Amino acid sequence: MRRRLAVWHLLGPSLLVVAVAAVGTTTSPTIQFQVRSVLVTAAIVVSLYVFVGNSGVISFGHVSFVAVGAFAAGIASAPAEVKPSTFPKMLPFLANLEIGNVESLLLAALVGAIYAFWVGIPLMRLSGLSAGIATFAVLIITHNVIRNWEAIGPGAKTLALVPPTTGFLQATVGLLIVMAIAYGYQRSRWGRRLRATREDPLAAQASGIEVHRERLIAFTLSGALAGFAGGLFVHLLGSITTEQVFLDLTFVTLAMLVVGGIGSMWGALIGALFIAGLNAFLVELEKGVVLGARELDLPSGTRLLTLGVIMFVVLVTRPEGLTGGRELSWPIRRRRRV
Amino acid sequence: MTDRRRTERPADLLRAVSVTRAFEGVVALRGVDLELRRHEVLGLIGPNGAGKSTLVNVLTGFDAPTEGRVRLGDVDITDWPAYRRGRSGLTRTFQHAHAFGGLSVRENIEVSALGVGATPAEARRRADELMEMLGLADLEEVPASTLPHGEERKLGVARALATDPVFVLLDEPAAGLNEAEVEPFAEVVRSVRDDHDAGVLLIDHNFSFITAVCDRVQVLDEGVTIAIGSPEEIRRHPRVASAYLGRGDG
Repeated sequence: MRRRLAVWHLLGPSLLVVAVAAVGTTTSPTIQFQVRSVLVTAAIVVSLYVFVGNSGVISFGHVSFVAVGAFAAGIASAPAEVKPSTFPKMLPFLANLEIGNVESLLLAALVGAIYAFWVGIPLMRLSGLSAGIATFAVLIITHNVIRNWEAIGPGAKTLALVPPTTGFLQATVGLLIVMAIAYGYQRSRWGRRLRATREDPLAAQASGIEVHRERLIAFTLSGALAGFAGGLFVHLLGSITTEQVFLDLTFVTLAMLVVGGIGSMWGALIGALFIAGLNAFLVELEKGVVLGARELDLPSGTRLLTLGVIMFVVLVTRPEGLTGGRELSWPIRRRRRV
Repeated sequence: MTDRRRTERPADLLRAVSVTRAFEGVVALRGVDLELRRHEVLGLIGPNGAGKSTLVNVLTGFDAPTEGRVRLGDVDITDWPAYRRGRSGLTRTFQHAHAFGGLSVRENIEVSALGVGATPAEARRRADELMEMLGLADLEEVPASTLPHGEERKLGVARALATDPVFVLLDEPAAGLNEAEVEPFAEVVRSVRDDHDAGVLLIDHNFSFITAVCDRVQVLDEGVTIAIGSPEEIRRHPRVASAYLGRGDG
């Protein structure tokens, strides 16, 4: 039973992802884009979960890794003919670089991992509020470096002409890869040791667990997955500015994780699908849709207002999130005979 | 339980050498010496505020002495962090259980084995063994946060033993257990000494429990050692009677 449940904890959510993607392919092109964007957002939230969910330490800095992944993949795969003229100050080696889609995604993961490891060495000594503030500082620093150091980033311009390779296949497979790695980590000895530190750091040390080391492992893995998700993101959008991987994305993805339930991968996925799905739906409603004989056209601002109210209601009524921070349970309940 | 990967070689003696610990103005320990050997149960008793828990904290790396050293065999471990001592076979339980509340009983025990470098398969085997030994088998899947007090105490001991320790420091493990639970618990403490060949430091206020399981007893009062000896010698010691037993909480 236990082994079957372990398989189900990954298989169940994966089936849901495939179903969402399959239904998405049958919709109109605008909705299709929204569904792909929901899948990529879910990949970002699951990557965030790998660290926050297992360590219990909040990070406001994860979108930094999404950002470096997105710009690494974007700059490296945008056509070399246009880059030197669009970005005259860019390092020649970057401006002349042009690598393929898969290579760019792997590069995004690698850059995310290295960056997370490097900032994680000092950061992982912190917990609680100081960890939150320090990770937030990393986000601000990263944003300003990418935005103002034109040798390596796009500056205030838009990075355009990135090959739009994140179709349904890439979005789905990408998310499934992120989920499989997240799940594998959470069941590994490293993931289990980290969860012990989340529950009680003192007792964990008495059992030989080095809190800093376990957190740094998770932070680095989480940074790699966030970088990879950033790569998916830039290939979804085709063009990107530094603002698109900054504050809004940080708070939206954190809200998704909290609404879904911080303590489980299932929670991360459900939160992302629920909020991102609702968001996409409201975007379309604000643009106006025809429902039968009537046209429904919500005033602008309705979207953010509704999202805010729903998050509020969820958190007040279910502080542990929609899933209660638990993994997906087995669908058929075995009745206990008395 | 012999295949653990120790980061240091096992030692036969744990020593506190003239340990002093002063908190702003208050001196909790004044030049205390303690020796714990493998294969013995040493009782550490004394009134509240005598410095027992502070001494355990200093020995296990959860607090640093103001003066004095801690030695494990020939090695000075005074500057070692707690996790490194844990991996070297020196572990403890806490006065307040500090269970991994969100994890199940089994997960609590397994992760303690994983913490000192056991493989997942070995961790599972140790958990099976310890749950059997401590009577926790029926509670395997129960979240630790929902355990009754007595079971929570047992889980603390199970977790300490899962690290395959050479020295186990038990900080009031029997507190809150009823009379019927204390005797089986005493059996567990003896088996840690006899079957696991470990040294046990036992803090407790229940003098009959201490007498029943300890080979030697050390008495602290106001941060100094006032007596060391066999349980019988301690019982008859005049200063112990006035400092501790006479207060009627024995």
